[in-house]
Amino acid sequence: MSVRNPYLPYPTRIEAVAIENGARDIKTFRLAFEDPAHAAEFRHLPGQFAELSLPGVGEAPFGIASSPTEAGYILFSVKRTGLFTGELHSLEPGAPIGVRGPMGKPFPWERMEGRNLLIIGGGFAFTTLRAAVKYVLDPANRPRFGSVLVIYGARTPDELMYKDELAAWQARDDLQVHLTVDVADKPWAHHVGVVTKVLDGLKPSSENTLAIACGPPIMIRFTLLSLANLGFSDDAVILSLEMRMKCGIGKCGRCNIGSKYVCRDGPVFTRDELKALPAEY
Amino acid sequence: MTEKKIPQASLDKLLARLQERGTVYAPGRGASGDVALLEMPQGEPVLQDYGNFALSPKAFFLPQTQTLLRFRDGKAEEPSPPDRPVFLVGVRPCDAAALLALDKVFLDGDPRDPYYEHFRAKATIIALACTQPMASCFCTSVGGGPGDGAGADVLAVGLDTGLLLRAQTTRGEELLASLADLLAEPTAQDSQEADERIRAAEGQLAPARADDSARRLREAYDAPLWAAAGQKCLGCGTCSFLCPTCHCFDITDEVRNGAGRRVRTWDCCAYPLFTLHASGHNPRPTPKERWRQRLMHKFRYAVENHGRFFCVGCGRCIRNCPVSLDLRTALKEIS
Amino acid sequence: MTESPQIESRLRETASGLLREKKVSLFLGYEKATLPFRTAPLFLTAADEAERLVWNPFCSANLAVYLPRLFKAPADAREAKAAPPPPTVGVVLKGCDARSVVALLQERQVPREKLLLVGVACPGMVDRRKAERALGEHACLGAGEDARGNVRAVVDDGTEVTLRREQIVADACLECRAPTPALHDLLLGTPVAGKQADAARRRVAELESKPLDARWARFQGLAARCIRCNACRQACPMCAGCKTCLLDQTRPRWIGAGTDASDVALYHLLRAFHLAGRCTGCGACARACPMGLDVRLLSRKMSQEVEDLYGFRPGEAADATPVLSAFSLDDSQDFVTEP
Repeated sequence: MSVRNPYLPYPTRIEAVAIENGARDIKTFRLAFEDPAHAAEFRHLPGQFAELSLPGVGEAPFGIASSPTEAGYILFSVKRTGLFTGELHSLEPGAPIGVRGPMGKPFPWERMEGRNLLIIGGGFAFTTLRAAVKYVLDPANRPRFGSVLVIYGARTPDELMYKDELAAWQARDDLQVHLTVDVADKPWAHHVGVVTKVLDGLKPSSENTLAIACGPPIMIRFTLLSLANLGFSDDAVILSLEMRMKCGIGKCGRCNIGSKYVCRDGPVFTRDELKALPAEY
Repeated sequence: MTEKKIPQASLDKLLARLQERGTVYAPGRGASGDVALLEMPQGEPVLQDYGNFALSPKAFFLPQTQTLLRFRDGKAEEPSPPDRPVFLVGVRPCDAAALLALDKVFLDGDPRDPYYEHFRAKATIIALACTQPMASCFCTSVGGGPGDGAGADVLAVGLDTGLLLRAQTTRGEELLASLADLLAEPTAQDSQEADERIRAAEGQLAPARADDSARRLREAYDAPLWAAAGQKCLGCGTCSFLCPTCHCFDITDEVRNGAGRRVRTWDCCAYPLFTLHASGHNPRPTPKERWRQRLMHKFRYAVENHGRFFCVGCGRCIRNCPVSLDLRTALKEIS
Repeated sequence: MTESPQIESRLRETASGLLREKKVSLFLGYEKATLPFRTAPLFLTAADEAERLVWNPFCSANLAVYLPRLFKAPADAREAKAAPPPPTVGVVLKGCDARSVVALLQERQVPREKLLLVGVACPGMVDRRKAERALGEHACLGAGEDARGNVRAVVDDGTEVTLRREQIVADACLECRAPTPALHDLLLGTPVAGKQADAARRRVAELESKPLDARWARFQGLAARCIRCNACRQACPMCAGCKTCLLDQTRPRWIGAGTDASDVALYHLLRAFHLAGRCTGCGACARACPMGLDVRLLSRKMSQEVEDLYGFRPGEAADATPVLSAFSLDDSQDFVTEP
């Protein structure tokens, strides 16, 4: 039996496309594998990514937005920024698309066992955090984790993704969700201000807690300061990095930070792992 | 390991025999007058009076342009690579050793690269020891040597009367066994002559300071020499393209008349666009960071990840850099 | 008689004076390299390091290639605020390099007031490949210039070989019409007249006299050996200013990145067209090419076309309008045909 060619995408089909934001440049694609055997092979954990592939156009890496507990499909949220994403955004349900993956190291689920989780997301970077929250909330998994606090912010209410799910999560009592926007340009019942302002206000305890932060560089910079002030040690802070990628499997040499490849040794890193690397990202 | 000798007069027969079994590439003078690995038959093979080929043999394993997938009617198909065995004759020891570095990336890393694996499995490497190192050579400073057979299947050493053939791998042993009628047993003098030539070549090599490079580079990460040297770099790509251990590549899709292909092509970390994000952010924005990356990758990150340098001291980058950047200078200055 | 030693000493004095008096913050010149027949560019910022400067037959690099990068316009207002003020740069220029600077000035890529041009009259620079080939199987241990301007090489058996300069100067030097920089703030060396004023034309004519398939074969010979490293483009002072080269663009992707014959051909053809009226024939491209290709094959012809059609030679008058940015009513219109 031969090992699958790692450059050969799994054929999938777009089942549904959801527009996530007011600007209509973020869409969530629900994909289903054409071959159930491929679906069975594609075992991922939240935090991992995959390369989406359009023949004749190219490939691009995206965090997997769905949890492995969501059966029968995988989700990717994609912002339209360039050649590939532009093409992807033009596709309708029924269109074929290739997927290579799962790739990269997921969030450190073994370490997260038995801990409280502080999940901080900004803007478009919330994709793999959605996967993480869905995974934790699954009844089979929930008892394995402590308290869950989610802080998610975007520029405006329209820019928040997964609005229906956020509303459903806010109604639950097994996690706390704090949403915030920079500017409330429509009726808004929740926080106004940057994510770190909410974080500083809530002062969550760092005791037996792991923090995961995903967001634009400036949000990360200030979030790290806040987390340090709250007493989070560097190995208790988990980040997910973005880098220009091509092969996704540690061969093409493009995504390295020091001796680590973001596609293979990341994209999830703890703050102390990052501190040991050169600041070239 | 087996040692055999082939007299000068039988070399043509050996090459002819190999051509019966597969495609043979041997050193020959191309149209430009430079010696390169040319597909036989191509006239008189050249086995001396050349330093090294302009292009390294990595192109046989990681081609400059390689189709990864073909697309037809939206379906992806894997291409069928040529199945014929390939013999590379006259490869210098540095270039043979470089394959061991590439193996770390393409074979040892999980997953394996099936394209590289295929070419590697099909190729037999008959290296030719060097007797006249060039001023730009420094193989002995990076774990190699002019008579080092690592990476080759057979190492040939020139004698006055022919070639001494030293098997380096099982495949090499099998090759020599299959050519037994052309080969003779070498005498003790033959072995001695070969060893003396190799020793003489080793003596001609000026050392480069690669020792303890990983630690020295770690400590020198913020040293001013990166900007001082890096600012000269034109980002021309020559070093990476000619380097036998450089392996960075790009993947792009092409469409022609309704059919398409996904192709990989050589890329270079010195190019300004190499790490440029779609957002416009570039983690390595100037030549300083890119020059540093080159040195770090070859002499520190590779050591940390694979336990070896990603440099075999072939000197191509030094000979061909249009602005005479010399990584030996950087290795010296980081102390 | 070679003037190199005097020029070298004047360059060192000039550079050290300019830096010490803070008339320039950076001085670009040449220094010794680690291999023979070569020099390396030198970015001098300290007056007391001026002794590193050299002047010899191996000062081939066109230092003008660094100027667009030094004077790169900031991308936006925020970058403009954070950016340091542009440097004042002293730069050593041969005739060809000075023509590049003139062409850059014509395109407003560099500010004249921030440049201090130290021109040196150039007797022609050595093509290291020609020199290496002239030594045959001998390896060169070191090379220098003799009193007559020829190259003295010490080879591996300890002997000295003299290589006549005219046998080993670069092709671009053999075709050079203006070895003495016309634009300069300071000129060193006795002015050298342009050698063989129509040398480039003769080379074009020689090729054009051949039948079509021979010409195609010549072009194919270049295309077959090109490895698409982009060294020719990166070494070119006129290409240095473009943030993203047309040939690297992805939207749309004009050409593929690989060595398919059509991609290679288009790379060279499009680059030649983009350099029409801008290429000053310095030969930096051919010098950089790791495969030793005659990269100027097309640009030689292109320059001739521009001169014949529009009477324009790039790199001559700093205040001239670049030829393809200007239109005059009596421009040739022979190419306009009836539909």
